[in-house]
Formats: sequence, structure tokens, C-alpha cells
Amino acid sequence: MLTALIVMPAVAALIVALIPRQRSELFLPIGVTVSMAPLALAGYLFVEFTAGEAGFQLVERTMLYAPWGFSWYLGVDGISLPLVILTALLVPISLAASVAITHRLKEFVMYTLLLEAGLIGVFLALDLLLFFVFFEAILIPMYFIIGIWGGERRIYAAVKFFLYTAFGSALMMAAIIALAVVAGREAGAPTFAYTDLLDLAIDQSTSRWLFAAFALAFAIKVPMFPLHTWLPDAHVEAPTAGSVLLAAILLKLGTYGLVRFNLGLFPQASVDFVPIMAALAVIGIIYGAVVAIVQPDLKKLVAYSSVSHLGFIVLGTFALTSGGLAGGVIQNVNHGITTGALFLLVGMIYDRRHTKQIADFGGLQKVMPAYGAVFLFTIFASIGLPGLNGFIGEFMVLIGSFPALPVHAIIAAAGVVLAAIYLLWAYERAFTGIPEKPENQKLLDLNLREKVLLAPLVILMLVIGLYPKVLLDRVQPSAEAVLDRIEATTDYVAPAPGRLSQVLMIGEGE
Amino acid sequence: MITPPEINWLAILPLLVLGLGAAVVLLVDVQWKPAPGRLNFLAVVILGLAALGTGAQGWWLGRHEAGEVTGSPLPFGGMVVIDRYAIFAGLLLVTVAALGVGAGARFFESLGRRAAEGLALLLLSTSGFILLASTTQMVMMFLGLEIGSISLYVLAGFSRQEPRSEEAAIKYFLLGSFASAIFVYGVALVFAGTGSLDLLDHRTLLDREIILRPAVLLIGLGLVVVGLAFKVTAAPFHAWAPDVYQGAPAGTVGFMAALAKVGGFAALARVLVTGFESYIGTWGTVVAAMAVLSMLLGSFLAVVQSDFRRLLAYSGVAHAGFILTGVVAGTSGVGSIWFYLAVYAIQLVGAYAVVAAVSGAASAGSPLASYAGLARRQPLLARALTILLLGMAGIPLTSGFIAKFGVFQDAFRAGFGWLVVVAMVASVVSFFIYLRVIVAMYMQEPEGTEALSVSRPLRVVLVAAIAVTLVLGLFPIPLLRLTAISLPL
Repeated sequence: MLTALIVMPAVAALIVALIPRQRSELFLPIGVTVSMAPLALAGYLFVEFTAGEAGFQLVERTMLYAPWGFSWYLGVDGISLPLVILTALLVPISLAASVAITHRLKEFVMYTLLLEAGLIGVFLALDLLLFFVFFEAILIPMYFIIGIWGGERRIYAAVKFFLYTAFGSALMMAAIIALAVVAGREAGAPTFAYTDLLDLAIDQSTSRWLFAAFALAFAIKVPMFPLHTWLPDAHVEAPTAGSVLLAAILLKLGTYGLVRFNLGLFPQASVDFVPIMAALAVIGIIYGAVVAIVQPDLKKLVAYSSVSHLGFIVLGTFALTSGGLAGGVIQNVNHGITTGALFLLVGMIYDRRHTKQIADFGGLQKVMPAYGAVFLFTIFASIGLPGLNGFIGEFMVLIGSFPALPVHAIIAAAGVVLAAIYLLWAYERAFTGIPEKPENQKLLDLNLREKVLLAPLVILMLVIGLYPKVLLDRVQPSAEAVLDRIEATTDYVAPAPGRLSQVLMIGEGE
Repeated sequence: MITPPEINWLAILPLLVLGLGAAVVLLVDVQWKPAPGRLNFLAVVILGLAALGTGAQGWWLGRHEAGEVTGSPLPFGGMVVIDRYAIFAGLLLVTVAALGVGAGARFFESLGRRAAEGLALLLLSTSGFILLASTTQMVMMFLGLEIGSISLYVLAGFSRQEPRSEEAAIKYFLLGSFASAIFVYGVALVFAGTGSLDLLDHRTLLDREIILRPAVLLIGLGLVVVGLAFKVTAAPFHAWAPDVYQGAPAGTVGFMAALAKVGGFAALARVLVTGFESYIGTWGTVVAAMAVLSMLLGSFLAVVQSDFRRLLAYSGVAHAGFILTGVVAGTSGVGSIWFYLAVYAIQLVGAYAVVAAVSGAASAGSPLASYAGLARRQPLLARALTILLLGMAGIPLTSGFIAKFGVFQDAFRAGFGWLVVVAMVASVVSFFIYLRVIVAMYMQEPEGTEALSVSRPLRVVLVAAIAVTLVLGLFPIPLLRLTAISLPL
């Protein structure tokens, strides 16, 4: 079933490839339709997934090439499940949002579907080599999406994006090989299987180097300060669908990787690196927020807000408490939903006005009431208003990191306030007041298509905000398991009340 | 009593086919004056027969190993060898040459009556490199190296109207002869050091530590390595490559570069692994140093090139470095070296085939500017070149990734972890090189608007190269298994 999830989007891309080039009006409808299949399967996955269990489920494992220890090894747990579903959900939405693209539409749809296959593969792969293959392979479609359909400086942005991430993953590949070699030396046969590598005894200095190599790759992806400079360029130049997938999912590869591989494979080194990672995370939170305040470009503002929000996730992860970890995972999803929605909204106004400068707007609320309402709602979710999804994640991260890193948590809390400033101030400038510019007075409000594709995201913001148990029941056991392993293999003890169960009293009656 | 050396014609069957085939091509041309396209076809048929001959060797070897036939795998007094290593090399070289005929089809057609000479030289060159790969005798290696190389020197200058082509030929000839001289001097010193020319003897002597003059042997081995490093364009013996690969006729460069690389590495790995593996502690470091230099010089110098053919030549230097990364692992690296060579050689022929289509088959030089907007002028060429370049860059899901991964893994296992880190940095730099070309093709406006035509043989070559890049990228296992057992005797 997991294999089918990866193969389906690729097959969908093939189907689109078979449409004759002249029938350009068919590409998007068919693309959206075929991408419903992986979404349906992802929904089925959600049902099949047993909540409350920590281990990998629906595991598929076939040895492909024994001399290397390379296997087709897939599995899903509470950390990867939400991200897989999010991917499957956002691809049809961002395809449906791409009506502005007229030029080489067929390739665009194909690249997006191939990107989906790669992304789902990354989250499901439990063989490190397989993971790396997917991790690196997604660069190609993303590179073309930015480079062909992007804005004016698209080539610069695409090359920068590619080289930054390729550099990080190059060192990670060396580390992956090193792990397999160590495994070969210890166990007799080389292996890339995640579950086998968990039991590996690696000496301290080696494991620190390996941790650093993995962390660098993921920190570039997240992106953590000071490796974030590719992100604003990539976001500003990318087409709407590219921005949505980039922010909502590609960045999550970094935070996902940190939890899965850094914390999982190198527990002792993770404990040792907490001061550095947590400090960088907090710097990222504040720096991203402060820079976002002064951005004149709406898309750049959202891009920098991502740097800030992703900082929360990293902070929660490296607080090494189950609250922080689970909060980080949940915030992965929340950020994907809200930022995805924000980029969609920015894309919609850009399609109408062909500008993203905040100064060019003003009084949009009067002209486009529905648009303004959804925008404000999404902003509230992003800021973390109680009752909406952002609150759950941020609150859990802060409450989870406070016992471990009180100073960091207090500074990070200021980031929440800053988020309110940059987002609401931007809203005030663009939406409130009287529409003075004549171009702004005749703008059309959201049409049915736009309403339909925003609706699932808005609903999710509410559902997760009001009933987070849906997610928590599935995420928490896996997060606790990561922490259990760290406590079992090192002399680290999570500070009380570091356990989520102690704080929220959930996940017990199942 | 003197026993006569055992004769096994099968051992030299591919060489016979190719040698006779070269003569047949020339005679057919004189007698019937066929259209040039027919001669291309004839050459491919001859190469196909040579491949069958190599296949027959494989069949014989299989039965020999099963004990069903008698006879030695070292016939003619040990002058040639039938082993899996030689068979794989033979098949690969013949394939590369056949694709080379396809890529150069238009060039050979444009030569008119001289086409026969060009094709005969191609066949002879292939036979030379096959000999180079299928012997453990260092003098026979020299013979193969010279037969292979001299044919290539001539081909480099085959386009008479291009002065740069002549320059390339002279440069290639002078420097190449110099390298051959160094090689043969090294062979002489190895003989002086051990008293034998046979790598199998060297292995025995080294194992028993019966070395007449160890210092002389080491110098000799060093010179042999230098001579072969020249052929495979490993730094610091690469300086000729950009000029030659820029100046030689575009239709011939692909197989010139690919044949020399496959043959050269086949010989280099056999010398180091079969003969002198017990000296790996000594030559391992030297080869690793050469690998580092090749990877870094090749990648960084490729960045500043403005001519695509020079760019490919410098990236070839970097690739030589990547392959050397596998050589340092000794026997355990041989499989990965083969995989890398097989994939890279065919990609190289494909890439130069695109050059021939873009700049003209007899052209010298191919400025990067002429690739701008290629996707608009000829989507097939642009798509093919993109896939090939991504393969050369080693992006996952292409066979280039598997190739790189293989050699890096072997080097790591052999204790050269630092070399792998350097190699990773070099490959990131090389991403940039290939991306530049892809950017030019897809994201810039074309200079001219005229559409480029793609001939049928060229189409076949491109499809084959794409298949090697993508199909082997997704399903590498069969070839991995095959290369893993293609070990020298």
C-alpha cells in the first residue's frame, strides 16, 4: 500500500504525459483528477493507521541488493503520517491554483506530480539510501518548477536553491555511507535499514561528525539561521504552486529529518548538540520575525515568517521533551496548512494585480470581503490564536521546551508576539482603509474554484484547533518513543514535566 | 623438452574480427564504392560480430569454470587472457564503438570516400583497446595501447578543413607518444625490478617477497601509472584533453574519449589490482592524491569554460578522479569501477553526439552560447542532453548516482573516508557546471531560430544513452551483479 502511494503520483505523471500537447485545456483538470487518487489512498492510510502505537506500521521490506545492504523498506509512524497526508492534500490544491500558468503547462503538471512521488517517498523510506535517493531526486522537479515558471530572477533563485541543498545532502551522503560501513564492520553485512542502524554502537567522536553531517543537510532544508538565505529568493521567484509545496512540505523534510535521523540515530550526539541547535533555533525565530516586519513584499514576508515558524519546530525538537517533540511534529502540519494557505492567497491576489508589494494594495477588505476574511482567518491561525491550529503547536512547543530550556522558551515566546505584529500590520496596510488606487477598486472577489480549494485548508485549521486529539493520538506515541530511546541509550533524563502525558493528561484512556 | 604454447583462437576472436573487419571495410569501399551510410552499417555489423565473439568467450569461460572443457584461460603462452574482466571490457568497448559510429554517422558520411579509412581506424582502435584490457603481459598491453591510440591520433585530425583539428591531432600525437614512451620505460623498469613482464608473476613474486630491486620496481610502477593516467585524463596529466576534445571532429570525440577512458582504466586497474595489490599501501595514497587533484581541478576548471566541449573535457578529468576513488579500494573496487565506466562512457558518447548535432559533425569547438534555448529549437536534443548531464552529475534515479555511490562506498570501506568527503564537495561543484548548461538550454532565448534536424542513427544513440541513464538508474541491480563478478584473473 505504501509502495502504491509512491508509485501512484508517478503513474499520474505518466497519464498526463500521454495527453496530446494541443489539448492544453485538459492538463490541469486531468492533473487534479489523477492526483485525487493518491489523496484517496492517503485518506485510507489515515484510517488504516492504528493510533496509539509508536512503531512503524504497514511496513514493506524487500532486499534489493544484498552486497550493499540496499532494500526497498517503507513504513509509516506518527511522525511521518501527517506529512504524507499533507503532501497528498496539497498537491491537488496547488495544481488547481495554477490556472495562471499557460506556458508549458503539461510539463508543469508532470513535474508537480513527480515532486509528489518524491516527497511521499522521502517520508515513507526507512532505508537510508532509499531516503537519500528521494531526498535528492525532488530537487530536480523543484528546480525546474522555479526555473521555468518563476519570476524575473528565477534562474538565480533556482540555481541557488539547488546548490544550497545539494551541498548539504552531499555531506549527508558521505555520512550515510559511513553508517553503512560501520554497520558492515559490526554486523558483518552492510545495511541501510533504519531499524538496524538504530542498534549500532558508534563511538562518540564519529557519531558527532555524522550528526553534524546530517544536521547540516537538514538545517539547510529547514532552513535554520544562518543557512536560510536561499529561501526568500526561492519563494519570491517560485510560482504559487511551487511556493506552496516548498513552504508546506519541502521545508518539513528538514525538521522531519532532524527528528527521524538525528535524534533517532545519534542520541548522545543529539544531547551534546542541544545548546547549538536550540540557540540557532531561537535566533531563527527572532531574526525571521524581525526581518519579516520590514518586508515590503507580501511573499517575502511569508517566506521570512517561515524561517521564524520553523525555528519553533526545531526548538521543540531539541528541547528533548515529548511535549516539544510532539509539538514540533504537529507544528510541521500546522505550518504546512497555514503557510500553504497564505501562499495560495498571495498567489490569488498576484494573479489579479500582478504585484505583491504591500504598498500597492490598501482597502482590499472593502473590494474583496471573502478574500479578506479568509486571509484574516489564516493570519490568526498562523499567529496561533487559541481555537485555531497554530495555537496547539506553538503552545505545545513552548510548554514542552520551558522545563528544558527556560530562557530559550521565554525568548521564543516573544516570537509569537512579533508574528502578530508583522502579520497584522501587513493586513492593516493591505486590507483596511479605503481602496484609493483605481486598480484596486475593481478587483474581483474569490470565485468558486478558489473558495473550493481554500476550504479544506480552512476546515483543517479549525478542526485541528478545536480537536487536536485527532493528530495527538497518532503523533504522541511516536514522539515519546524517540524520547524513550534517547533516555535509554544516554544518561539524559527529560526534565519534569517533560512528558506530555504529565502536562495534558491525554493518550491514556485508549 | 619445449612444450608448444597452447593455441586458443577464441581468445583473439574479437581482435581477429575487428582487424579483418577493418580490411573488409577498406576493400568493400574500393570494390563497390557504396554509399557512405552503408559503410557505417557495415562497421556496426562488424562490431556486432566482435561482440558475438566476446560472447563466445564468455560461453567458453562458463563451461571452463564448470570443468566441461579443457584448455587454459591463458593461451598463446599467457600473452592474452580470457577472464570475466576482459570479456566485460570487450563488450563495453564494442558497444561504445558501435554507438560512436551512430554518433559520428553524419561525419563519416560527410567524408565521402575517406569514410572507409575513418571507420577502419575506429575498428582498429577498438581492437587495440580490447587487447589492452585482455592481457596480463605488459608488453602486450603496450601493443594494445599503441594500436588503440595511434588510430585515435589520426582520427583527431581527420577533418582537413579545420585548422584546430590538425592542431588537436598534433598535440594528441606528441603528448600521447610521450606518455606511451613513459609507459614503456616503466614496463622496462618493472622488468628490471622483478625479472618478469607478466602481472601474474608479479603477484606471485610480491607474495613471496622475491623482488630483485624494489626501488626500481616502484619507479617503474610509477611510470606505468603515469602513462595510463595520461590516457584516462587524470590530473596532473590531463592538460592535453581540453584542446584535443575541443579541436577533434565533433563526430569522433565521443568514442575517442570513451574508448581511451575505458581501455586506460581497464589496464590501470588490472596492473594495480592483479599485479601489485600487495603494494596497495604504497600506491593507494598516490592514486588517492591523483583522484583528489583530478576531481578538484576538473570540477573547478570546468566552471570557467565557455566552450561546451572544453567543459565536457574538464568534467571528464573530474570523472577520472571519481573513478580513481574506486581504484584505491583494490579488488573490491573493481565492480564499481566497471559500473561507473560503463555508464559514463555511454553518456559521454551521447553528450558528444548532441554536440555534433548542435555544432556540426566536423566542427571544432562548440561555444556554450549555441546551446541557449536549445529546448525551443530541438526539444529532443535538449531533453536528451539534460538527462545525460543529470546522469553525469550523479543525481539519484539516474545511473550516474549508482555509479558514484558505488565507488564512494568502496573507497570508504577501504579506509579513504576523507577522499569521499572531497569527492562529495567536487560533485557539488560539478552540479553547478551541468546546471549552467541546462539553464542555458531551457531558460534562455535561442540565438538562431532554425530548427536542428536529428538523424536516425543519432536518435538511436540518444535513446540508448538515455536508457542507460534512466533505466539503469531505476533498475541497476542486474548490471551491478554483472560488474561485481567481472573481476580480473
